[in-house]
Amino acid sequence: MDRRTFLKIAGMGSMALATGCSPDPDRKLFSLVHAPDDMVTGQAQWYATTCRECPAGCGMLAKNREGRVIKLEGNPAHPVNQGALCMRGQAALQGLYDPDRIQGPLVKEKGAWRQTTHAEALSLLRRKAAAAARKGPERIQFWTDVMGAPLYDLATETMAGWNAAAPLVFEPFGYDALKAANEAIFGIDGLFAYRLDTADVVVSFGADFLETWLSPVSYARQFKTMHRVRKGRKGLFFHVGPFQSLTGANADAWVACRPETETVIALGLIQIGLDVGRAGHLPFELKDALETVVTRYPRAAILEQTGVSEQAFDRLAVRLFQAQKPLVLGTGAGGHGANGFATNLAVNLLNYLLNPKLPLLAFEQRYRVETAAPRPVIRQSIENLRGGQTDLLLVHNANPVYALPPDAGITAALEDPSVFGVSFSNYMDETTALADLVIPVRSPLESWDAYEGVSGAVGFQQPTIGRFNDAPALGDVLLAAAATHPSSPADYKTYLPDAINRHHGGIEQVGDWVNALQAGGLFSSPPAAAPRDTARVDPALITRTFDGLAERPQGPVLITTPSIRYFDGRGANKSWLSEIPDPLTKIAWQTAVLMHPETAEGLKASEGDHVSLEHQGERLDVPVYDWEGVVPGVMVMAAGQGHAGLGRYARSTGANPFRLLGEASPTGDNNAGFMAHPIAVQATGKTARLAMTAGSRIQHGRKIALHIKLQELRHPGEPVKPGLTMWDFPLTLPIPEGYDPKRDFYPPHDHEGYRWAMVVDLDRCIGCNACAAACYAENNVGVVGPERILEGREMAWLQIQRYLDPETGEKVIFLPMMCQQCDNAPCESVCPVYAPHHNKEGINNQIYNRCIGTRFCSQNCPYKVRRFNWYTWEWPKPLDLQLNPDVTVRAKGVMEKCSFCIQRIKEAHNVAKNEKRPVRDGEVTPACVQTCPTGALTFGSLMDPDSRVRAMVKDPRAYQVMGYLNTKPAVIYLKKVIQEV
Amino acid sequence: MSELTFAQVDQTVLDTLKPGGKSYWALIAVLFCGVLLGAGCWLYQIFVGVGVAGMNNPVAWGTYLINFVFWVGIAHSGTLISAILHLFRAGWRNPIARAAETMTVFAVCTAGLFPFIHLGRAWMVYYMLPFPNQRNLWPNFQSPLMFDVVAISTYLTVSSLFWYTGMLPDLAIIRDRATGFRKKIFTVLAMGWTGQFEQWRHYTRGYLFFAALATPLVISVHSVVSWDFALAVVPGWHTTIFAPYFVAGAIHSGLAMVLTLMIPLRKIFNYQKIITLHVLESVAKTIIFTGLIVGFAYATEFFIAWYSHNPLEQYIFLYRPTGDYAVGFWIMVVCNTVIPLLLLFRKVRTSIPALFVISLLINVGMWYERFVIIITSVARDFIPHAWGTFSPSLIEYGIMLGSFSLFFFLFCLFIKHMPSVSMTEVKEMLE
Repeated sequence: MDRRTFLKIAGMGSMALATGCSPDPDRKLFSLVHAPDDMVTGQAQWYATTCRECPAGCGMLAKNREGRVIKLEGNPAHPVNQGALCMRGQAALQGLYDPDRIQGPLVKEKGAWRQTTHAEALSLLRRKAAAAARKGPERIQFWTDVMGAPLYDLATETMAGWNAAAPLVFEPFGYDALKAANEAIFGIDGLFAYRLDTADVVVSFGADFLETWLSPVSYARQFKTMHRVRKGRKGLFFHVGPFQSLTGANADAWVACRPETETVIALGLIQIGLDVGRAGHLPFELKDALETVVTRYPRAAILEQTGVSEQAFDRLAVRLFQAQKPLVLGTGAGGHGANGFATNLAVNLLNYLLNPKLPLLAFEQRYRVETAAPRPVIRQSIENLRGGQTDLLLVHNANPVYALPPDAGITAALEDPSVFGVSFSNYMDETTALADLVIPVRSPLESWDAYEGVSGAVGFQQPTIGRFNDAPALGDVLLAAAATHPSSPADYKTYLPDAINRHHGGIEQVGDWVNALQAGGLFSSPPAAAPRDTARVDPALITRTFDGLAERPQGPVLITTPSIRYFDGRGANKSWLSEIPDPLTKIAWQTAVLMHPETAEGLKASEGDHVSLEHQGERLDVPVYDWEGVVPGVMVMAAGQGHAGLGRYARSTGANPFRLLGEASPTGDNNAGFMAHPIAVQATGKTARLAMTAGSRIQHGRKIALHIKLQELRHPGEPVKPGLTMWDFPLTLPIPEGYDPKRDFYPPHDHEGYRWAMVVDLDRCIGCNACAAACYAENNVGVVGPERILEGREMAWLQIQRYLDPETGEKVIFLPMMCQQCDNAPCESVCPVYAPHHNKEGINNQIYNRCIGTRFCSQNCPYKVRRFNWYTWEWPKPLDLQLNPDVTVRAKGVMEKCSFCIQRIKEAHNVAKNEKRPVRDGEVTPACVQTCPTGALTFGSLMDPDSRVRAMVKDPRAYQVMGYLNTKPAVIYLKKVIQEV
Repeated sequence: MSELTFAQVDQTVLDTLKPGGKSYWALIAVLFCGVLLGAGCWLYQIFVGVGVAGMNNPVAWGTYLINFVFWVGIAHSGTLISAILHLFRAGWRNPIARAAETMTVFAVCTAGLFPFIHLGRAWMVYYMLPFPNQRNLWPNFQSPLMFDVVAISTYLTVSSLFWYTGMLPDLAIIRDRATGFRKKIFTVLAMGWTGQFEQWRHYTRGYLFFAALATPLVISVHSVVSWDFALAVVPGWHTTIFAPYFVAGAIHSGLAMVLTLMIPLRKIFNYQKIITLHVLESVAKTIIFTGLIVGFAYATEFFIAWYSHNPLEQYIFLYRPTGDYAVGFWIMVVCNTVIPLLLLFRKVRTSIPALFVISLLINVGMWYERFVIIITSVARDFIPHAWGTFSPSLIEYGIMLGSFSLFFFLFCLFIKHMPSVSMTEVKEMLE
């Protein structure tokens, strides 16, 4: 099918599919003359599937309306994410509807792409594979991202049929250092989970568990369980490292140390542990080796090397060793240097010192990402590619040309004409561009599969939508291309249940399969597992590792971290992820280099000035962002942007820090490192405004994002006498009891049955922006692009506002800001045509048809949450298929804003009416509330005396933003609780 | 002036109606091109979206509303001069009353276009009219923008009628001297004016009543315009002083515009004997007075911000003189309050070039006053995260140029085809 025909068919809008629990994946997307009996127009079908945007493997429910999947939500039954999703998960839809998806197989002829058919492409692949297999063993390589066990097995069998080794799992952030350290101490060459929720003190040496580390949605939930106020107490979280990630910004204390010196701090803590007699259970040799090591780091040397103040170090040590249930986490997925292994080793030892029973280390829960190949293996594979030992390279969902430093040699290997490259990618990314044959395969949302992100959580994948094109699933390609296959199943879908049964059991008959499919997978608790006996830890390794610590780098250091938005770069063509600004810097679309204001001053560069970063012959030109959450001399860049290909949104936006890393590590450490130094950095003289959505970093002493000290919460002082100024104005609920004739000229509104309201607990908000992404997906919010953001025209209905403490710049508070649905709404009275309208349930409706665009409402909105359609925004086809049919797509010239997801309220009303009962508390969940990983948002009716929101507004922390204007907002905030460490 | 005879007055005015030369039509052509440019820009904006202007999220009102307020302000002094000063029997207003009224009518027309240009969906503007419709939807009369619709349309109606009524005897004079096609036109326009005693009696009574009717409108129109801002909650807008402050500012700018127009007019049309230096001097003296009121209003705003203890008010009034738009603020202060004080010197106010330059500067200053008020307040309002700045786009400059072209185009057409000085009223002075 050619592109035009595809667009015509796709554009017809409604498609065949949606047939309950047994959708036929081979049905194509056509408009329906006769709809299937069980497809009701206007009624959504939900398909349980599994998110494959990162290796965590969260469960998802895909909402399908009239044959199109329009929204992804977390699967509440899935043990990993329990109903929540991160912003990348929300944006997975845009991968499916990517306007730059490759529609059919392409073959490269004389440097140009020629379209071909799948049959031809498959036979070409088969010929090439057979030829390579004939030449000898190990002539074929297969690079893939992390796969579920069934597909990986099939790929292994196929490769074996070709006389080649199992696929190489390529993950740019492969946790090499952590795996090696786990092997050294616990005898587990892999990655296990941590019981973060039951800890009382957590110390992280860089693990960005709220962003990308292992399973961020799960850890975000656990972190807020551990960090919530309980009986006047809160768990403590220390973040140790040279920079503050979003995770670090959520810490109670950031112990800022120089780069590569985290190990020294961990050793310092070990020393204290040895001193206070916590090492009684250690084997003698190990204890001896440790004592020898730590004596080389007297206290003064530790403080001198790390740059940490004595006070900060003591506080960390005291709190850690006094804790009942301490947990220490190692380095992040990226962001560490040559000492990454040593740090993780020390961290594992420290956990062991703190409690030899290791109750918070869940050895039985192993992460699937542990199958990622360590960097030495990858290097060897590239060696083989370049050395002429490989004839055929298959690449699936991996982009090594982008994610490996230029001196890794992968580009040269792919350009080598003796290697025939086959890419199974849907996008023309950097690696695919160098391939010789492209066979696009179905995306995860269109395929049958199973993926066990963590032991015991086998998430199933099923097609959530009909087919866009005739692309086969990867499993089918492998089955068809394989020389021989022992069981020769007809297709991958037939192969799958048996394979799942082989690996995980539980699929005895068809009923089991259907049940599991409906639930989203097979969920069980894995049997307990124990680490290897500590006595077998090699003391020589300890001595060797800590003796060979990399020196503190001299000169400017560049640290590369995975991005909460693009992860390792695979999300870069999803426009929502670019449009929603980075939570910490509030920069959208661009990649900035974060540096301490002092560092920037030294370069004579200020915010927005471009600097050139040069390392090992590679050069990047990036804008500077002043950030006090970085120690002086260090520069931090998030990976993910700076693509040469991938698609229209990814191409030439931002910069790619992987290019500067350099493969050759100065210490000869074999693991992947994410730190480069010394960087030659200088201002280029070029300057450009950053596409930032934040107008100011601080609150200017206004009543916006408030916090309260834990002590004050425990021992409240005298209540403030209510007055009429900003600070003594009382909480005025948007219901009759919030009205007082002394303040209010007009009588209260009459609400019929419900008064919808939201409670936002700032103490639970981690600023992850999942809510914002969910809002974009649910409400057809326009994506405006970098130029328009520079003009101040972003359309986000929900923004996470970030405010820094004016005195200590690294203290951050996040505030989700959406329409406050005021009872005394300033927008309503100024509109000449009644476009903003107060409905009977208290919601401030915006009537798009009525709006003529005077913009007075926006001018008069104290919260500045109204968004004007300056243009008609575009959804390049087929991104328009994602649009929610329950929500109007707004045209140019009208105002819009958060509606509390009124379409969901209406839906709940309909259901309740059919069942002849009122809407129950918790029945309506707006998209933002639904996806919040930490449960920071609660929605309900204030008219219901038993509702959760009604109980929460009685919290002493409750307040309203700018409440003194007497707008009576229906969004009630609960102050963030901070604790002195 | 006393040396003029009635015939000389008539002749001086009638001479201005002789067919224009090449330079006149060249000027008209240039102005028309300006109008076309503005119209083209507007059309482009309608097709593409208001995004082609420089407005954004915190600053959703830009030069369109600045120009609206500016032109409404200009429109003020015409009626002030013709109505209020008529009631006060200030003789010096007679020679300039006609031109000032003309300025008023055309300025209101120009101003009236801007709310349409400003709208996101100009084609839906009829939603603001209280017309019967099946959904029984009425406009929101609580909204200051509805006040505007009423106030501006009333003002336009009354000032046009007042202007036309005052012109009747003069139109008859032209009719009597005209020949051919022109005669036919002016016969219709003069509405059968014969100069009978009865007609004069009705005319003078009617004119007086019109003057009395128009007087409150002078005050009300700009008060209503000020409520577009004062009734909002935005710090820097939400203040009770806005109505008198805006009225004084409007008269200030209108008088300056009168000077700007009269000085070239009397030179080109040989009106020196009719629009004497004394007339210009009287206008200048009034400008000193309005300038002082405006200066007082500026000072009051700062005092109240300090006195209120409201941190948001205080922030805005620190931001205006020191922030992103400090240049605009200081242009406003200097041009509107300091420079008019030069007119205290007789030497300055009797120097035609000085008067002309000062009048231009006041016009600039008053434009910036509206800029400072409209832009700075929302650029730095309640939520610091949402702060932003504004700068006009090329389209906005095009439309602004178009609006000035339109005003001068209409004005130039008028003065060459209609009596730009009231012969009748000048003759009254001679008696």
